Amino acid sequence: MLDLINFYLVPGIVLGSIYALGAVGITLVFAILRYAHLAHGDLATLGAFLALAVVSAIGLPVYAALPVAMIVTAGVAVGVDRLFYDYLRERPKIVTVMASLGVALMIRSLVQVIWGVDAESYTRGISRPENWWGIRLKDREIATVAVMIGLVLALQLFLLRTKWGKAMRAMSDNPDLALLSGIDNRKVVTLTWIIVGGLCAASGYFLGLNTELKSLMGWQMLLPMFAAAILGGVGRIEGAVIGGLVVGIAEELSVLVLPSEYKAAMAFAILLVMLLVRPTGLLRGKVL
Amino acid sequence: MRKSSLAFVGVLLGATALAHPASADVKIGLLGGVSGPIAAMAPAMIDAAQLAIQQVNEQGGLLAGENLVGVVGDSGCNPQNATDAATKAVNIEGISAMVGPHCSGAVLAAANSVTIPAGITMITPSGTSPEISKLADKDTVFRTVPSDDYQGRALARTLLERGTGKVAVAYLNNDYGKGLAEAFKAEFEEKGGEIAGFAAHEDGKASYRSNLAELADGGADTLVLFDYGDGTGLTILRQALENGFFETFIGGDGMKSDAPIRELGAENLGTFYASSPVGEQSAGLEAFNAAFKAIGGDPNAIFVTTSYDATFLAALALEKAGGDKAKVHEALREVSNGEGEAILPGEWKKAKELIAAGTAIDYKGAAGDHNFDANGDVPGTYALWRVEGDTFAVETEMK
Repeated sequence: MLDLINFYLVPGIVLGSIYALGAVGITLVFAILRYAHLAHGDLATLGAFLALAVVSAIGLPVYAALPVAMIVTAGVAVGVDRLFYDYLRERPKIVTVMASLGVALMIRSLVQVIWGVDAESYTRGISRPENWWGIRLKDREIATVAVMIGLVLALQLFLLRTKWGKAMRAMSDNPDLALLSGIDNRKVVTLTWIIVGGLCAASGYFLGLNTELKSLMGWQMLLPMFAAAILGGVGRIEGAVIGGLVVGIAEELSVLVLPSEYKAAMAFAILLVMLLVRPTGLLRGKVL
Repeated sequence: MRKSSLAFVGVLLGATALAHPASADVKIGLLGGVSGPIAAMAPAMIDAAQLAIQQVNEQGGLLAGENLVGVVGDSGCNPQNATDAATKAVNIEGISAMVGPHCSGAVLAAANSVTIPAGITMITPSGTSPEISKLADKDTVFRTVPSDDYQGRALARTLLERGTGKVAVAYLNNDYGKGLAEAFKAEFEEKGGEIAGFAAHEDGKASYRSNLAELADGGADTLVLFDYGDGTGLTILRQALENGFFETFIGGDGMKSDAPIRELGAENLGTFYASSPVGEQSAGLEAFNAAFKAIGGDPNAIFVTTSYDATFLAALALEKAGGDKAKVHEALREVSNGEGEAILPGEWKKAKELIAAGTAIDYKGAAGDHNFDANGDVPGTYALWRVEGDTFAVETEMK
């Protein structure tokens, strides 16, 4: 029983938290801008490597690198939007989706040019887990789950309680009506990208912290993240979190019943079944 | 108008007619993974092949003084690009022999769909998958690098000799990992060892703890890991060490990378071993090293010796076959079968004279003697390495 928790459930929850952070960003873009953002994974990679730069060049402690990486990545996300997506806003959405694929390739190449293609890590050596009444947890695993919950709660409060949060929800509901009510759509878009960029960096950072940093790490997470967002119901923050956790735990538990080479197919299977059985997602998403 | 276009066609015809006798070049294809996952290794390998071609041309050229030309093609390390590049090399460039492609999957595709039907001899310097031995190739596919079959089997025997009778095996789900794992398993079980877990894994996942837990369930305390030390292998090794799965870790040549030492620290890798081919010191290797350094190459780069040997062997076989494409594969066996006057890397002039005189020659290359077996494979020498300081040191020879 303890083995099941230690080696299947705990990794599943940690992995799920990382997926959740990415899926929340995907769901936000879906709800407010209404397209699938394929550069999401590579933006996460960039965030992870920016944190590495902060750790290795400036020498900040590993955890202090997270806010710095989040802020810089948020800036990059806004810049990418201004440079590429803004210009395509009035065109069919599929054009923007394809543009985001191009942006993904650009960001990845940039990471490879600056940091190379070798695996890197924030700290050298290994960290063994501590024993909490039989349950083996590492500090970084607790931090991953705690920060994910903190960020999502903060985002929920922001959306529900603040003026700009309400503006974002209004635009998600009906952009034209929001514009007529005096909401500056451009500012809402910028705000969305700041939040999405920050969440991206957080998910990349925690993936890097729990494993290694590789230039393809984010791209390989893209499918599980999309599966999580759709599973939870597009446009639902809490749905994306539940979706992320379900996909993460399902991937780890699948090893119990399936040959382990099919682990990677788990996200595909969930995505497929969900689209067939309940395309609206668990929480009937559409708008914020 | 009609007259002028007729004249134009006439000029074109004349030009092509003239072009033929003027091109006294003999071409060999150099197919490599110029783009794709081994892009970092490919340039040095192609430089080594070009060195062999340069030496041939400097020392009298091929046959009646024809120029040997290397036609470089990009196989992209994947089956589709390899087939395209091989088709172009064989049908458009009209190559007489092919060196490459570099990756196992690319070799299998290019051989099956292009070179075997065309009867062109192919020598790969770095395709190590055991599947290549099984090709129905009419004896036209060779390699100057040992098959992973040898490595897997040698590793199995070495472990049993060291008293490890029970292991779990995790391998990356591709041509490399699968070939190595299956060769290892066959030999290990045949010699009385017990495989207490045998599972493939996909590349690029964040957690392999459930895979490890599943493998550890069999009760083995040694994990044999066929993967890349710069990729998933590193993640698995880290998670196994952090969570106390297994006590001893054995990797193949892919795991003998600096990344585990750099990222995990040598102090944590006291029970980590990796097997890899070792070059035997020989006059041939020294001759190659000196020549490759002279053109600014790094003789320690991976697969440069095998690339050089493959190209030089192709040239020797072409000379022996009198330039006849269809006879190159027979000639290849004649120039390197352990009998005759020894030819070292760079000794083109000597070889050319001996072939002209009808004397048997035997090429002793930089990477080994290359006495091909029935499958066109060469045996390899391997060693098991341990981590010492911040690098690898030989733990034991593998037989």
